[in-house]
Amino acid sequence: MTRRYWWGDLGDHGGCTPAPSDDGAAIERLASIETPMARWTPSSWEEAVACGAATDRADYLASLHRLASRLAAARVADALRGPDIELARMVRALDGFDEAINLLTERAVEWYSTQDPGFTRKFSHLPSRRLVPLLAARARGPLRPFLAEIEGLAESRAALAREVTRAAARVLPNASALVGGLVAARLLAAAGSLDALARLPGSGLQVLGARTALFSHIRTGTPPPKHGLIFQHRRVHGAPPAVRGRVARVLASRLAIAVRIDRYRGELDPVFIEAANARIDGAAG
Amino acid sequence: MIWRDGALVSPGPGGVYGERVRGGYRVWDPRRSKFAALAHLDRGFDLEDGSRILYLGAANGTTVSHVADYAEVVYAVEFAPRPMQDLLAVARRRPNIIPILADANRPELYAHLLEAVDLLVQDVAQPHQAAIAVRNRPFLAPGGRLVLMLKARSIDQARPLEEVGAEAVEALEAGGYAVDSSRPLLPYHRDHIAIQARRED
Repeated sequence: MTRRYWWGDLGDHGGCTPAPSDDGAAIERLASIETPMARWTPSSWEEAVACGAATDRADYLASLHRLASRLAAARVADALRGPDIELARMVRALDGFDEAINLLTERAVEWYSTQDPGFTRKFSHLPSRRLVPLLAARARGPLRPFLAEIEGLAESRAALAREVTRAAARVLPNASALVGGLVAARLLAAAGSLDALARLPGSGLQVLGARTALFSHIRTGTPPPKHGLIFQHRRVHGAPPAVRGRVARVLASRLAIAVRIDRYRGELDPVFIEAANARIDGAAG
Repeated sequence: MIWRDGALVSPGPGGVYGERVRGGYRVWDPRRSKFAALAHLDRGFDLEDGSRILYLGAANGTTVSHVADYAEVVYAVEFAPRPMQDLLAVARRRPNIIPILADANRPELYAHLLEAVDLLVQDVAQPHQAAIAVRNRPFLAPGGRLVLMLKARSIDQARPLEEVGAEAVEALEAGGYAVDSSRPLLPYHRDHIAIQARRED
């Protein structure tokens, strides 16, 4: 049985073939080797020297360090590139915008209330995107550029959200068709990658994003969460409370199939979408 | 291991992660590193100079950089790409770190890179940590040591620490290890147990 090591192949009868001297070829060879542990015997630098693959132990370790580093770097690049990873990062950036805009708006309101002590958000039900222009029209002094900055952030946020939806339609065509691009992209970001998302069971998708509630359920026996991120989809949050759990469950089960189609086929399947939508709408009954 | 004024230190070029440097030595903080915590709690614990080490769960290379200051060579296995980027940067300055992007559950995919090692350090957030140590046992030279930083909450969210620890010790003994000690890493790290064992043949 040939023993295969990073530095070369050792035959049964002492014959040996050193690994390619070209780093690129050597790394390709490294990535392809698999050694059943029952048959593994330690690599020995003396054997590598005898084979002509290294001059001494220092050289053995230096070559191994160089090749292993390059192989690891190539694998990192593979894992961190790709449209799904970029989409997940875009979602996190979008969340960052939201956090920043909410915080700054709150500060702006507090600041504005010193200029207009009668001002209150109570009973006005103004979301941040309406409130800020309203304040900007009335504010005085350095508060004005501060508010203008928030408005600028809000514009960038809206543009990024459109980009996220657009990218989601490419990366997650079927999931986007079921729950919309933003929610689909958020699920992807929570799972980390399209591979990870496609491996989740429906029950996992159902509570993805409800980590605190899920672990409090496991730890202390509070009621289990009915939905995580998918609550943000209108068919879940719009469903009457009595059937919301059922809708979430059925939606998640269809979504699990949708993300697998997205991962392994990569194109929209209108027949599946129609059947899935019928099932989901049926669950709301 | 080297101690300076009650602080564990390691000899090597500083500035890896903003660690303090005292008298030319890098201070090895037990609050940041489980390995250092074990050395603080068990003064009999030693890391021999020139050891060959297999480190599973190398993460960003914080602890690995200190271990490499003592070792001849550290085979550093990490599965996640993001921390591997940091580990690669650490390995660029420390040629005795061999970075390996692989799943510690599947030693058959990195076995061809390894020689026999004197010490196996394992610090992975996985449910089957004892099984991983058993699977990687062939890499240990006869009589080689295992230091397993058991992350109890990766095994079970709710069960008591002692129970999870006892179960891991049992699994290690069934898998060919003689367990010497098992101690919680309090007050430095919650929900962690350091298990020290030897390969038994």
